[in-house]
Amino acid sequence: METEQKLAEKEIKIRAKDRIIAWPRMGRIDIPLKALVQSLGAKVVIPPANSNEALELGVRNSIEGICLPYKLNLANYMMALDKGANTLMMFQAPGSCRLGNYTKMAQKTLKQMGYKFDMVIFDMYKSKMVQTLQAFWHVTHCLNPYCYYKGFSLGFNKLFAIDTAERLLFYTRPRELNKGDAEKCYHKWLKIADETNSVRKAKRLKKQVIEDFKKIPIDKDKKVPKVYLIGEFFVLLDPYTNQNIEKELGEMGVEVQRQIMFSDWLEHVLKPSIFYKKESHRERCVKYAKKYMKRAIGGECIETIGDTVYAAKHGIDGIIHISPFSCMPEIVAQNILPKVSKNENIPVLSLVLDEQTGKAGYITRIEAFIDLIKRRQQKYAI
Amino acid sequence: MEKKTVLTKIGIPRAMSYYNNFLFYYGFFKSLGVEVVLSDKTTTATINEGTKYVVSDTCFPIKVYAGHVINLLNKGCDVIFVPSIQSTGYKVNNCSKIRGLPEIIRNIINRPFIMIEPTLDKTENIGLYDFCKNTACQLGITDTKEIKKAMDAGWEMYNSFMEMTKSGISYNEALNNALNGKFVKKSVDIVKPLSVVIMAHGYNLFDERISLNLIKKLEKMGVKVYTSLNISREQQQEALKKLGEIQYWANELELTGCAAHYLLNKKVDGIIALSAFGCGPDSLMVDEISHHCKEKGMPLIHLTIDEHTGEAGFITRIEAFVDMLMRKKRNTLIQNAKPKAKADIINIKKEKILTGSAK
Ligand code: SF4
Ligand code: SF4
Repeated sequence: METEQKLAEKEIKIRAKDRIIAWPRMGRIDIPLKALVQSLGAKVVIPPANSNEALELGVRNSIEGICLPYKLNLANYMMALDKGANTLMMFQAPGSCRLGNYTKMAQKTLKQMGYKFDMVIFDMYKSKMVQTLQAFWHVTHCLNPYCYYKGFSLGFNKLFAIDTAERLLFYTRPRELNKGDAEKCYHKWLKIADETNSVRKAKRLKKQVIEDFKKIPIDKDKKVPKVYLIGEFFVLLDPYTNQNIEKELGEMGVEVQRQIMFSDWLEHVLKPSIFYKKESHRERCVKYAKKYMKRAIGGECIETIGDTVYAAKHGIDGIIHISPFSCMPEIVAQNILPKVSKNENIPVLSLVLDEQTGKAGYITRIEAFIDLIKRRQQKYAI
Repeated sequence: MEKKTVLTKIGIPRAMSYYNNFLFYYGFFKSLGVEVVLSDKTTTATINEGTKYVVSDTCFPIKVYAGHVINLLNKGCDVIFVPSIQSTGYKVNNCSKIRGLPEIIRNIINRPFIMIEPTLDKTENIGLYDFCKNTACQLGITDTKEIKKAMDAGWEMYNSFMEMTKSGISYNEALNNALNGKFVKKSVDIVKPLSVVIMAHGYNLFDERISLNLIKKLEKMGVKVYTSLNISREQQQEALKKLGEIQYWANELELTGCAAHYLLNKKVDGIIALSAFGCGPDSLMVDEISHHCKEKGMPLIHLTIDEHTGEAGFITRIEAFVDMLMRKKRNTLIQNAKPKAKADIINIKKEKILTGSAK
């Protein structure tokens, strides 16, 4: 009660129009979210991309036993606050793991460091469209429904365009004739998406992206091994933490497929389930994982297992499973995966990432794994 | 329809939730007419056996758990009770490894056995009654009256056990008394020069092999030890609230709640946190408490253990901590005993004591 009151007092201090909002980096979420928040009339600060410097900052200011994503999130907050932000947004899903504890800790740590700010928590446990809107209203005090319409449709359209671009990038990269084409195209569209400011244009983005990717010359008949990338949400989406594994794999001539896409997750989280026409990713995972897991246990464990089984049944050649060090749900997954791999006859490589992960050793392991997959492919082809 | 035969024997691994809930389980199964088989106490062999089955990043208690399941199977017991305790309140979740205990066991042990795996998940409205009913159904018992009666029997045993420990009787003694239907209460509290509270999960602290007999070691040094069993859940909850914290983890009260209680009532001279190396939730809980300890000037030591922890180094650390507490206590006693005017002299004395023992 008391803390709530204190918070309320604080909120009054920061007036809506003075708010400068920041949030931790999570994949490409910054582009759509920026569009949304700006449409509602608030200012935004995007913390710099994760780097060694950010990691060091995070490690220095957090306790040892906490997982990597927290450390980086904390660094993001600090950098954003240094750049002038005064309102921090955080997504919280207390159904899952330590993530829910993050905010509490981050808040405490930052206050101890002397930062002044207001933290808005987006509780994403089960579908919560209304609460989400309220939270946005709370930050921006925007009452104009048109702004909401504009913000959300800009945001969602950009998000879908970016996800599409990402999927096409995964497909094109191993097949492209001129190395680097796909990558260039992808970055071009990221930039365009970021700059688009009208709903009409945003709605066209996705189509344009598809057309543009089609223009890249590729070797259609090339035999490309397909690999599923699965694991913990944050490391999957953050290229710094996963050492740009998608690009490395693409350049090794492997088609990557990532099942956890931001738009899927957001859709699942925001939309009440009655609006769902198709089976959500999660439902599919629960179905496929049934043989091995009877209940969800937090984090992305059940997705990891479900996707592995699904992949094995749908012609995927291998699985790369990545997780941060000491990640609890993924340790459970690591314990289950060997059996799945054996029973479903699909090779699995589990990689654990921590502050000290050396790039060289990491790449060697991936290369060896890809060799294994290619050899298997040849064996089965005969 | 083929009717399931009623299973009359159930194996309970002496690990994880055994340490907090065994008496409930025991009373429950006994009332249902199911014989309970326990695995042997943890030994180094149990640990080595368990370690073989799980990936090395898994925390210590889970490795031990796997060892106990194997032990039961080797004993010829092929019905094993592996509960999944997901949450104990709305959105008060457990650690993923506790939630997924049956999932882990199912997939790492490739031997035929029947797993009784009920779920307790209050977030999803699966309460204790459903938990018990589910357990009984899996055993082939469906009579709801009988189940309710068994639950009462379970509670009765559990409560009498808790009453005993709350009066200050040691874990083992209370356990044996409760199993034999005896009820003993301790009336006088032995006063010792020093007292500490240990914040730890029951499955770490009361497993004598895992905790390397921490409680006994401390008692030998003349230290009075308090644990989470000495106070009720309500007291723990209340203390945590008073400290301005909220309960986030399902198994957090035995650490934070317990520490908060003794931190606030100032009954102890120090806090010992004992947790498994690499345990995610514990590192957060200990951090939370250590913040408050710093504010209040309460000494805290965090001991982490795993299968490689050596006994010698462990003892050294405890001794150093106890020595430090002793010195601190002596100093405050001296300070409080003398009138303020002589403060200077005492300060000199204090310094002497400090440098003297540092050598
Ligand atoms: S899922 Fe893993 S990385 Fe994420 S909060 Fe939980 S333990 Fe940390
Ligand atoms: S709470 Fe800690 S020690 Fe217990 S199972 Fe989870 S990670 Fe392991």
